[in-house]
Amino acid sequence: MQANKYLLPGIVVLGGFLYLFAQAAPNSQPANSFNLQGFGQLPVVDRGRIKPIDTFARVSLMVMNDGFQSFKDESGARQPAVRWLLDVMTSRFSDKGTAEKLKVIRIENDQLLGVLSLQPRPGLRYAINEFAKQLPALEERAKAAEQKEPAKRNTLDRSVLQLAHHLQSYIEIASLQTPLIIPADKELEWKPFMQAAIEAKNANRDDPATKAFGNMILAYERNEPGNFNKSLEEYRGIIDKSLPAEAAISKFEVFFNHFSPFYHCIVLYIFVFLIAALAWAFRPESINRSAFWLCTLTLIVHTWALLARMYIQGRPPVTNLYSSAVFIGWGCVLGCVILEAIYKNGVGNIVGSVTGALTLLIAQHLGGEGDTLEMMQAVLDTNFWLATHVTCITLGYTTSFVAGFLGIFYVLRGVFTPTLTAESDKSLTQMTYGIICFAMLFSFIGTVLGGIWADQSWGRFWGWDPKENGALLIVIWNAVILHARWGGMVKNRGIALLSIVGNMVTGWSWFGTNQLGVGLHAYGFNDQLARGLTMFWISQLVVLAIGLFPKEKWWSVKARKQPVAGIASGIKTKHQPA
Amino acid sequence: MSDQSFSSYKPTGFLKLLLTLASLRLTVILFLLSLFLVFAGTLAQVDNPTWTAVTDYFRSFFVFVPSQVFVRFFQAFRWVPPTTQWGGGFYFPGGWTVGFLLLINLLAAHAVRFKFNWKRSGILMIHSGLIVLMIGELVTGLFAVEGNMTMEQGGATNYLELRETSGFLGKINGPELAFSDLSNPKSEKVVVIPNHLIRNKGKLSDPALPFDIEVLEYMNNSSISENTSQGNLATKGDGMSVVAISKPEVSGTSSDQKIDLPSAYIRLIDKKSGQENGVYLASVWLSLSSTKPTQEVITSEGQKLQMALRMKRSYKPFQMELIEFKHERYLGTNTPKNFSSKVKLVDPARNDSFETLISMNNPLRYEGETFYQSGFLPGDKGTILQVVRNPGWLLPYLSCAMVSFGMLIHFGMHLNQFMKKRAENHAS
Repeated sequence: MQANKYLLPGIVVLGGFLYLFAQAAPNSQPANSFNLQGFGQLPVVDRGRIKPIDTFARVSLMVMNDGFQSFKDESGARQPAVRWLLDVMTSRFSDKGTAEKLKVIRIENDQLLGVLSLQPRPGLRYAINEFAKQLPALEERAKAAEQKEPAKRNTLDRSVLQLAHHLQSYIEIASLQTPLIIPADKELEWKPFMQAAIEAKNANRDDPATKAFGNMILAYERNEPGNFNKSLEEYRGIIDKSLPAEAAISKFEVFFNHFSPFYHCIVLYIFVFLIAALAWAFRPESINRSAFWLCTLTLIVHTWALLARMYIQGRPPVTNLYSSAVFIGWGCVLGCVILEAIYKNGVGNIVGSVTGALTLLIAQHLGGEGDTLEMMQAVLDTNFWLATHVTCITLGYTTSFVAGFLGIFYVLRGVFTPTLTAESDKSLTQMTYGIICFAMLFSFIGTVLGGIWADQSWGRFWGWDPKENGALLIVIWNAVILHARWGGMVKNRGIALLSIVGNMVTGWSWFGTNQLGVGLHAYGFNDQLARGLTMFWISQLVVLAIGLFPKEKWWSVKARKQPVAGIASGIKTKHQPA
Repeated sequence: MSDQSFSSYKPTGFLKLLLTLASLRLTVILFLLSLFLVFAGTLAQVDNPTWTAVTDYFRSFFVFVPSQVFVRFFQAFRWVPPTTQWGGGFYFPGGWTVGFLLLINLLAAHAVRFKFNWKRSGILMIHSGLIVLMIGELVTGLFAVEGNMTMEQGGATNYLELRETSGFLGKINGPELAFSDLSNPKSEKVVVIPNHLIRNKGKLSDPALPFDIEVLEYMNNSSISENTSQGNLATKGDGMSVVAISKPEVSGTSSDQKIDLPSAYIRLIDKKSGQENGVYLASVWLSLSSTKPTQEVITSEGQKLQMALRMKRSYKPFQMELIEFKHERYLGTNTPKNFSSKVKLVDPARNDSFETLISMNNPLRYEGETFYQSGFLPGDKGTILQVVRNPGWLLPYLSCAMVSFGMLIHFGMHLNQFMKKRAENHAS
């Protein structure tokens, strides 16, 4: 019996471990091939940040093909982004035309496809040489679109400009003007390869780094892996000597990119959810424990990934919208794991895995627009306030969401299952209430700290800026819930419903305020997020409506009145009186 | 915590009123009102400058909320077409009203239910902190003054240009029209026409001025174009070569421009002859020009006056000199990394002189005023400092400490109790 108790959780956690291990292990590279991984680790500068070439390649490719950090070559095999980058970098002096044949540019707009005489195909990804003849026409349209005021551009204009933008970045890479590759002693003097090469030639000077890098791409074009790897080693020798710290961080970042921990966290959270759902249906205790330990394992990976980002960037965890999503997910899961450790009733597993997976999915979405470790605007460039205000306010969002999802869980469980017994009704409300107290604490402190930061940096404690107001709304809403409870205006169901409304309020201040235009905190917004938020609100309204069904109609409430022994009373734990 | 303890007897008269004022139901209602107010006040910033929204919604007793603000909300999510217009609106209690009622509610609650014991100490601390916060916002609303100090590299200045701000005591409402007589090198004689007089167009007369003034057009916000082919009202002065075009006022959610830049077309009529001197363009744009911030007006008698539409000034007993302005960018981008101004402050009255560096998140506090790095002149030619005098600036810090501490005590006690109970259950 004792062995049985630990057997299943042990197997599940081991399975999780093996999965992660398999993902983290490096891809094997045949001996006589290009050392692409080594090439990817070289540090370059792009958008104000020293990063590995691997990241630059992944982000550039992802922006162009809308979401993928790898591509299919002509034979249909998946290839890493650095190979695409090398193909583009050598395209100017190569007559093979490899880069132009790669189908990596996504064109969605069917009018634009018409303009370029392209046929829609699955995936909508096209190669440059498929529409090379239409480029002059495209350029003309792009110029016309650019002249229009942004508000007056139609969908075709926007698609044309987007494509023109992609081609522009392509050209910059192909002409070796982006990124800044050749390092210098001073931080501000990194140079693109082309410039460094021309300067070295004009000054009749032999620059070892420029020479080694030049040899590398020449060797790539001539398909000489041996020479490529030799020049790479030479170049790495120079870098390791002149920029040891940056080279080390770059290597680590490449591992991070390769492992893509957040993606695997999503997979594992989904498994946690499935196992936790099974726990409700079958033998609860050991299955539920398995879900708990798998969730804990995933949380550890999630935590590691968060710390890894902090190490790479040298900043507190939340610096932009993407990282806020990652951090909110982390906080939700952490809170739920703690709840589960206290209550051991399966609620924490379900809510934790759902919120963890959802927030990381949102993060994946937000991360599709570029480098998620971007540099910060001057006024945001302070680790102290990022660490205090931003972290606090994000924890405020986090706890509000946890409370809201507990509310959703309360409603769905009560209406659609018989398992919400009087006992679990009480404990679920207790959990929600506790979490709301934390939400109140974090959102208030976070908001006031934001005010103090504002006072420090532009002399106004409170400017009634849209984003500030959004945070204030969360504080007020949590105060409403707490005071309504203290005044006896709401009971268990009322708290659940109010915290679901809290989800809507939090969604507004997290994303919605940006949509209004651009205040001091705006990170930008787009139609897709507007649709996402709309859907989210509708879903919350639906759950609210379900929660407003008369209580006698709830399955759980009906079940409470039937003293039939066969109806399960939630997950039995050793703490529950039998 | 609940009102139930009072239900055993029937209160009457004053006590009944007090109990109503102290009820948690009222608290929740007031919270809901403030929730709506903050939401509407946010939406109002789509079409209005932040400070208008702040004055109308948060620093007022009542506010008229036009339905159109909700259309803005729906449009932001593409729920209605961008051209949708809704008329009408409704009155709603403003920030002063809701805040005042909350204060009364809080005080009444403590008066009725107050019993000091350790269990309540957290709540007491939180609520006292909130009162401090409200007082802080009230003091800011009443007394805070904001302005700008602009200096070129190597240049010095001794005044602030007061920004449009709103307060309980009325608002500083944009630029004034100033005429200065420089004929006496020892002292400058200035006649200033306040903004509200120019704003209302029409004719103005002042005994100190040799001419009458007629405001032909006043623009709350404008841009300057060199294309005068569409016609130009100006017949003299700097306005001959450029034309001012009216623009909508800056909205609170706009990112590219933070303040309004007004312009006016002004006809001057010689008092003695009754002859028109000319129509001039007076614009904050022109006064911003560092080389020639004013334009010369010559009367029929040959008297010379300098005219400018400029922000209201507040002269200081000290002088500030910009030694160096630095604008650092991130490697290979235009994203600013840091702005900083090295300045020298000379205060002869206090016999004070020192150099200091003002940068982002690193202001200078001097004599009750705080100087922040706020912006820079085009081409990094100089710096713009934001200057704020707010006698209540310390209150939010105090409040934050009190409330945070109070919440930690209160929720901490709850948590402790809860854990204890669980431990007991566990044991049994």
